[in-house]
Amino acid sequence: MSTEPVTEDDAERKKNRYHFDRHTPEYRQQFADVTAEMLDKCPVAWSDTYGGHWVAAGHSEVFELARSAEYVSNDHDPANERRGYKGISIPSPDVGFRGGFLEMDPPEQRYYRQLLNPYLSPAAVARWTPLVDELVRASLNEKIESGQIDFVDDLANIVPAVLTLGMLGIPLKNWDIYVEPIHASVYTPPNSPDMPRLQASRLAMRDDMLGQLAEIRANGRPGLIHALATAEINGTVPPDFELLGIISLLIGGGFDTTTALTAHALEWLSENPDQRARLSAERDTLLNPATEEFLRYFTPAPGDGRTISADCEIAGQQFKEGERLWLSWAMSNRDPEVFPSPNEVDLARTGNRHHSFGLGIHRCIGSNVARMVFKRMVTAVLDRMPDYQCDPAGAEHYQTIGIIQGMKHLPATFTPGPRVGDGLDDTIARMQVVVDEQRLAEPVTVRKGAADIE
Amino acid sequence: MKVHVDPERCQGHTLCAMIAPDLFTLDDVDGHSSAIDGEVPAGLEARADEAIRSCPEQAISIIP
Repeated sequence: MSTEPVTEDDAERKKNRYHFDRHTPEYRQQFADVTAEMLDKCPVAWSDTYGGHWVAAGHSEVFELARSAEYVSNDHDPANERRGYKGISIPSPDVGFRGGFLEMDPPEQRYYRQLLNPYLSPAAVARWTPLVDELVRASLNEKIESGQIDFVDDLANIVPAVLTLGMLGIPLKNWDIYVEPIHASVYTPPNSPDMPRLQASRLAMRDDMLGQLAEIRANGRPGLIHALATAEINGTVPPDFELLGIISLLIGGGFDTTTALTAHALEWLSENPDQRARLSAERDTLLNPATEEFLRYFTPAPGDGRTISADCEIAGQQFKEGERLWLSWAMSNRDPEVFPSPNEVDLARTGNRHHSFGLGIHRCIGSNVARMVFKRMVTAVLDRMPDYQCDPAGAEHYQTIGIIQGMKHLPATFTPGPRVGDGLDDTIARMQVVVDEQRLAEPVTVRKGAADIE
Repeated sequence: MKVHVDPERCQGHTLCAMIAPDLFTLDDVDGHSSAIDGEVPAGLEARADEAIRSCPEQAISIIP
């Protein structure tokens, strides 16, 4: 926290000021207004919140800053072994470890990315599509005869979680150990009476993670964890706490973000039934741009923190080493300079160079997973529950959008339909056999073909 | 005309290959894009332009 006296130089550098607090419910409620004001008056501003930090909202400013890795650091250094930087969260959580390679700088960050890319590239992810279709089908089966579903609890929380565990090399049936602590951690405030229960579920998750790491080290079961457990990074074996940070990053990135995107898109499509019918009818040409538009408009991960690592001038603003910076993907995604009618959803939008997966060397490593799972879930709902109507009284959005713009619940009703095939537990058991026998979680360099499901 | 992907700028967002699968190919291992060799076929110029406009890293350019 800076206690330095304000110099004239500082006053001049920080003349664009905006009181920015993205952790308040007001920020969520007034998002479009705050965004329009910042984009118009101060696309880069100094905020006095959380010890003082810069906020970048403009599209071109965020673009320049996010791609300036030589001056803008992701490092999180809780042990103060380097420069004591605080990583990607503002304020920085009081934890003694860093959040995987998203809180590292090159070259270390690059070693991990190169290690894990062959599990998460478009070709690697496409192998899992038949398995995802089975999980989606089975999840919908559980509700299809009743005419009622909660799209968060009964679909969008389940499929990304089961798939992520499969890619990691963790048994699929363990998904319910992981899904609740990840989902609830994002929306539960620190003073909530639910905190003790949440802490207990977090510990159970951590225990399972450590157990899986040891087991995979011993039995060589393929997947992302196996790559990490057997890795040498720049000639040394990373300690377990570092690997836990990476596994937590992959789980945190793989679960709630795709859930949030899917829930918001399904809610919007319920409110705009003509657009829903159009998307369903024209999916061959419209599904890709519509997915990018939902990503832009809802920006599930609204931004990332950084630390300025050397005095510099970027996008017309002077920064000093050690200053904190918030890159707002969500606000830059509404910049009218790049996106005409930025506060409208245009399913066929072109030139949609949104920032929802970040930019530069830290581009979301799971972006290909997110897109694939989202598309399979949404199209299955369009096919099997084409007339669904979300219940606005039951829809529950996160109160704040400081970390994830997500939803707790999204209940809906629809004309009941027939089950197709088996239910979720049986399907998960069958998919485990597919994962094991076909070694689906191997990197794409070892195993190329798609899952073969009878 | 030809299209070119700057390998120093591409970060594997994959939008170009979604928009113009006949013009761009993605690496199996890291998903980074490269242009398929040769002239942009007649009729695909608009797709090439849309890929250029959509690239989040602004990594794609036209070679006349």
